[in-house]
Amino acid sequence: MHCCPERVRNFCPVRQKRPDVGLSFTLSICAQDERPQLWPPRPRRIPRLYHLGFTNLLLRSHSDLNLTNQSAVDAFFAAEKPQFVILAGAKVGGIHANATFPADFIAVNLQIQTNVIDSAHRHGVTKLLFLGSSCIYPKFAPQPIPESALLTGPFEPTNKWYAVAKIAGIKMCQAYRIQYGWDAISAIPTNLYGPNDNFHPENSHVLPALVRRFHEAKVSGVKEVVVWGTGSPLREFLHADDLADAVVFLLERYSGLGHVNVGSGKEVTIKELAELVKEVVGFEGDLIWDASKPDGTPRKLMDSSMLAGLGWVPKISLRDGLVDTYKWYVENVKQ
Amino acid sequence: MEGPNSDSSTLDKSAKIFVAGHRGLVGSAVVRRLHHLGFTNLLLRSHSDLDLTHQSAVDAFFASEKPQFVILAAAKVGGIHANATFPADFISVNLQIQTNVIDSAHRHGVAKLLFLGSSCIYPKFAPQPIPESALLTGPLEPTNEWYAVAKIAGIKMCQAYRIQYGWDAISAMPTNLYGPNDNFHPENSHVLPALVRRFHEAKVSGAKEVVVWGTGSPLREFLHVDDLADAVVFLLERYSGFVHVNVGSGKEVTVKELAELVKEVVGFEGDLIWDTSKPDGTPRKLMDSSMLAGLGWFPKISLRDGLVDTYKWYVENVKQ
Repeated sequence: MHCCPERVRNFCPVRQKRPDVGLSFTLSICAQDERPQLWPPRPRRIPRLYHLGFTNLLLRSHSDLNLTNQSAVDAFFAAEKPQFVILAGAKVGGIHANATFPADFIAVNLQIQTNVIDSAHRHGVTKLLFLGSSCIYPKFAPQPIPESALLTGPFEPTNKWYAVAKIAGIKMCQAYRIQYGWDAISAIPTNLYGPNDNFHPENSHVLPALVRRFHEAKVSGVKEVVVWGTGSPLREFLHADDLADAVVFLLERYSGLGHVNVGSGKEVTIKELAELVKEVVGFEGDLIWDASKPDGTPRKLMDSSMLAGLGWVPKISLRDGLVDTYKWYVENVKQ
Repeated sequence: MEGPNSDSSTLDKSAKIFVAGHRGLVGSAVVRRLHHLGFTNLLLRSHSDLDLTHQSAVDAFFASEKPQFVILAAAKVGGIHANATFPADFISVNLQIQTNVIDSAHRHGVAKLLFLGSSCIYPKFAPQPIPESALLTGPLEPTNEWYAVAKIAGIKMCQAYRIQYGWDAISAMPTNLYGPNDNFHPENSHVLPALVRRFHEAKVSGAKEVVVWGTGSPLREFLHVDDLADAVVFLLERYSGFVHVNVGSGKEVTVKELAELVKEVVGFEGDLIWDTSKPDGTPRKLMDSSMLAGLGWFPKISLRDGLVDTYKWYVENVKQ
């Protein structure tokens, strides 16, 4: 869900000539005998919608539809007229990318959002779901972080450009609902992991980074893996398939003004995570902690009680999710 | 009314300057000021000639015109009622204008861009006087959060372009403005022009009294738009910093003092009555403009002189 085209191209299955679905995909629920509109070719990984039997997914790669191009987006919506839109297209990246390319992070995301939301509304889309990120919340938000924490304090400086753009997207959805009575909702996932993640050695997040490092250590036969910090910070993770399930759930059942946190509600310490990854990967050497290095934020957990109150809970345990992720990694990431 | 800050400018008088929003309160004042200083090459486009929400039109415009400077004063603006009724317009039109102009300006070699915001970007409960550092430290005033979110995104875009490209984009945040070309609409104007209109109409119709809501005790800051225009040129010439700049007068008046002054300037001789059963609004709103003062800029137009000028414009231009 959070793959940008560049990252997806790196890790896409060798068989496919085109990048996997990296940008927004739309769907229309149609009669069963209607010819499915699938283009480019069906992604290798079966997304939740296919699993549920939706046959009319509208998918466009970046090279076929540049979402930052207002007239192209508008022409697309005018021609295709999807019923639903799931806006997962975004420019994403880690700390270093945000620091180096802040203009891209804020401008590209603002353009994608304003173009898609505005054209979707204008061309009769019934409902739109916008995906955000937990980084929209203030750096010192109360933990667990409730939806109400939005805009109550300063951002984490390393991703403020992206955060500003995402908040504007949430606010646009709310504004369109108020002015037009249009059904636009926002979902805010916690840290995600799973197939198609970014496993780049330098700019991936902690979970995929650990998977890669333990795997490479196992394969190369080294004696130990050194991880920065004490391992004590608490983090929350959600498998992307759980997130996809929540997206469909919200699309079906939620039409509220407030954005919705989508988390697992389960915390682990980085130490527990690292030990679990080590076990799943099967690395038999030592796991050493370099406590001289920084730990990062002590705790980051989203309050997903609103979503739980609607009746959705995640299904994939961290262990099962890691097994699935590692399997995908071994099969798909160039070694 | 001419700002007497300086009658010269260090900028090249033949420089091509695009003033986006040249018909509005701010844009028209900026154009007046630039003309007064002798700038001869102003690029002006009305909404019907160039729709700034239209990305390809904006890009084609910049590609063919290639201005050196851009003053981005174009925006969708309005009061509490308008924001509440048309929030989608307020956030998306302003986001579109901003992303289109800032991005195309950068792409087509504009040397410097100045983005104009509003004091409503600051949190509802910001410390008073409000320093630039108060930005994004707390919740926004709900009645204008749509507009505020868009304006904040504009400030952040300018900063982001400076960091990534070393491009000279700055932001100026004015306090409450007043002056020629303001909105004097009976239902949705701000407090100062509303008072001007009401006292004028009372004078002309021979009414015995004018009733104003509240106690008159809230403190407010006002800046004549010609002073703002002068500050805009000043910043364009001399400021290339990362941080947005507050542009205020630094002078507070109570709403009571304001009403009494307007009554006097307009020449209404009836009574001014306060309906204290009605709400007052925010107790105090004053921007901290010490950063701009430190750069060497100060406003020149007193509230009295500014009101005289404004009332004169009103009588001559607003259909009675």
